[in-house]
Amino acid sequence: MTKRIFWAIFGVAMVMMLAVVGLVFGMMYAFFSAEQREDLRSQAFYVAAGIEDDQMNYLEQMQSPLNRITWVDENGVVLFDSKANPEKMDNHRERVEIAAAFENKEGFSQRYSNTLSEKTVYYALRLEDGTVVRVSDLTISPIALFFTMTQPLAFILAFAILFSVFLALQTAKKITKPINDIDLEQPELAVVYDELTPLLRRIAVQNKQIYWQMRELKCQKQEFDTITSNMQEGLLVLDAQGDVLSYNTGALQLMGIETPREKANVFQLNRSEGFRRSVDSALAGIHREETIQIDGKICKIFANPVMQEDTLAGAILLLFDVTEQEEREKLRREFTANVSHELKTPLTSISGFAEIMKNGMVQGEDVPRFAGKIYDEAQRLIQMIQNIIKLSKLDEKQRNMEREAVDLELLIQDTVKRLEPIAEKKGVTISVATQTAVFIGVKQVLQEMIYNLSDNAIRYNYENGKVNISLENKEKEIVITVSDTGMGIAPANQARVFERFYRANESRSKETEGTGLGLSIVKHGAMLHNGKINLVSELSKGTKITLTFPKQ
Amino acid sequence: MVRSRFDSQLEQLDIEMIKMGALCEEAINAAMKAFSENDDVAAQIASEKENEIDRKEREIEGLCMRLLLQQQPVARDLRLISSALKMISDMERIGDQAADIAEITAFLKDNDTKSKVHIRDMGIAAIKMVTESVDSFVNKDMKLAKSVMEYDDVLDNLFVEVKQELIDLIGKDKANGEFCIDLIMIAKYLERIGDHATNIAEWVEYSITGGHAKMGMEEGNK
Repeated sequence: MTKRIFWAIFGVAMVMMLAVVGLVFGMMYAFFSAEQREDLRSQAFYVAAGIEDDQMNYLEQMQSPLNRITWVDENGVVLFDSKANPEKMDNHRERVEIAAAFENKEGFSQRYSNTLSEKTVYYALRLEDGTVVRVSDLTISPIALFFTMTQPLAFILAFAILFSVFLALQTAKKITKPINDIDLEQPELAVVYDELTPLLRRIAVQNKQIYWQMRELKCQKQEFDTITSNMQEGLLVLDAQGDVLSYNTGALQLMGIETPREKANVFQLNRSEGFRRSVDSALAGIHREETIQIDGKICKIFANPVMQEDTLAGAILLLFDVTEQEEREKLRREFTANVSHELKTPLTSISGFAEIMKNGMVQGEDVPRFAGKIYDEAQRLIQMIQNIIKLSKLDEKQRNMEREAVDLELLIQDTVKRLEPIAEKKGVTISVATQTAVFIGVKQVLQEMIYNLSDNAIRYNYENGKVNISLENKEKEIVITVSDTGMGIAPANQARVFERFYRANESRSKETEGTGLGLSIVKHGAMLHNGKINLVSELSKGTKITLTFPKQ
Repeated sequence: MVRSRFDSQLEQLDIEMIKMGALCEEAINAAMKAFSENDDVAAQIASEKENEIDRKEREIEGLCMRLLLQQQPVARDLRLISSALKMISDMERIGDQAADIAEITAFLKDNDTKSKVHIRDMGIAAIKMVTESVDSFVNKDMKLAKSVMEYDDVLDNLFVEVKQELIDLIGKDKANGEFCIDLIMIAKYLERIGDHATNIAEWVEYSITGGHAKMGMEEGNK
């Protein structure tokens, strides 16, 4: 703006200056020309008066006159000339000024030299006797005058230009300064030009609008951020090129990224195959689900295209950490497979024995033996199903399991009594060392736990082995320890024995008749009572399992 | 407008390079899986990946040529594009060699000897190098690129070790000859893959600084 104003002012100044110089020059020249003519005229009158008095004598006596004087007779023949020999001059009758003088008493003309640099001005006057006297003056022409004036003119012009540049600049700055000084944050406060007031008012209104809109947007973004940052799931918002527009902390955690780059492309965050497939598909406008692995975590991706009026605007990626789910799913599958297998084994025996009997291949006296086997297997099946039911009850942590004060000492004594026949059969001696301890818990579950632990201690023992059961009532906790001098569990298996259907030694499972669920029930029972299990075992030396229950 | 189109094309190049790098990782992963688990499906995957890598190379090459001709980039952009052109040929070689490994594994069934030599360790090291070189490109990470270049020594040492092991094996029983030659080829391929990963890391460095570490920084300082 300053520039434009500057050029406008400067341009006007230049045009004006040139016009003024031209006009003044013209006027001055015209004025001087008129003066000169007047001068010549009065001189001609003097000369004429002189000639009339003295004729040729006057002219000859005149010493080097300032202007050229020519005297011609009535026929145009030159009688006298102050600058040339009159005899060599041709007839002057036809000269414009002389012809005019013959006709109108006086004549005037001007002629330019060949180079146009000089101008001769002539004035002719007819005398009483019919002769004509002519006075001429040599002056420079306007063009020559202009050229001789060039240097001073150039100086003046240069000065004028500099001066007008300076002035124009100052003026332009002065005009724009108040506009530049307007505080656009508060345009209504600026008092500048009346012409700008509507504009400034408009800006003020829009400022206010923008302010509120920004505030609203910020609020919305904050809301969005708060919601998404509290999400466990990862959220990524992409534009149509796959650049990340927005993300939440969940996404960063899931993808194992500390600080993402500004406006990073999504493939810079992860480039695994499933991830690429889902992103590419979403950016092609098709919903896709993929399960991928990131740093050992299993992650489920839902990739959704975002459409805006039939054109793809971007994509939203939702990431779920399904590691735990997948693991549980795996356990569940294993459990189902195990259950079916374990249930099938006794059923196959039952079916086999029953088939032999059905075909009449069993003699009368053998029937009880076969029936006994069928009975045993059926019992085993029932026991296993009971155990499964118990476990599933423990799994669900049923609220209806009533807690009561249980005398653990009594419980252990009862259990030992029940197990004594089996122990005797195996030649295992049980020693009990108990203190009085009353614990608030589910009696049935506690009984089951102690029974299973003691049962295992006897079952996986050597002949003439020993089982020690102790109960300690400490200040803050109750400790039950069952130790044996049995086969022990290999270190590799120690972590797994609490899994359902897991058996340290598959080949032994037949002879020891276990269901593979005992320790699993112990584990869940301990969890139900907030207790802890500690297992110390050495192969061929024995196992010691400690249950610790905190007192409420 | 022209500029922003150029930028988006450059970004496109970046994304395609990341995808190609990821394909290389997958190819060598599949090849090593095929090797150590005798997994025919993995071998199949490795050769499919190789085809995909070849296609990607053509695609990126075309993109680079278009960028060079139409936009006539200078300075940093030119470096980026020219290093991309060099990088894709290294990536393509990685893909080829992964497929070659997968092909050889089809004839190897002797698991016992395989686990005795350190080829698996070489595989792990090569995978690490490829992954990290691609990572250094993705994140324009000079430090990581440098560590890839240095890690090449580990792979080279492993190669020497494997070579010695195989010499000993042949010495023990000449019947092992063919098998050992197959193994040494796999080892050599892995060693080459490490070299290509090093090259990629060097190109990453070049595209960032304008110079190669091995040649000093004179060029970059210009």
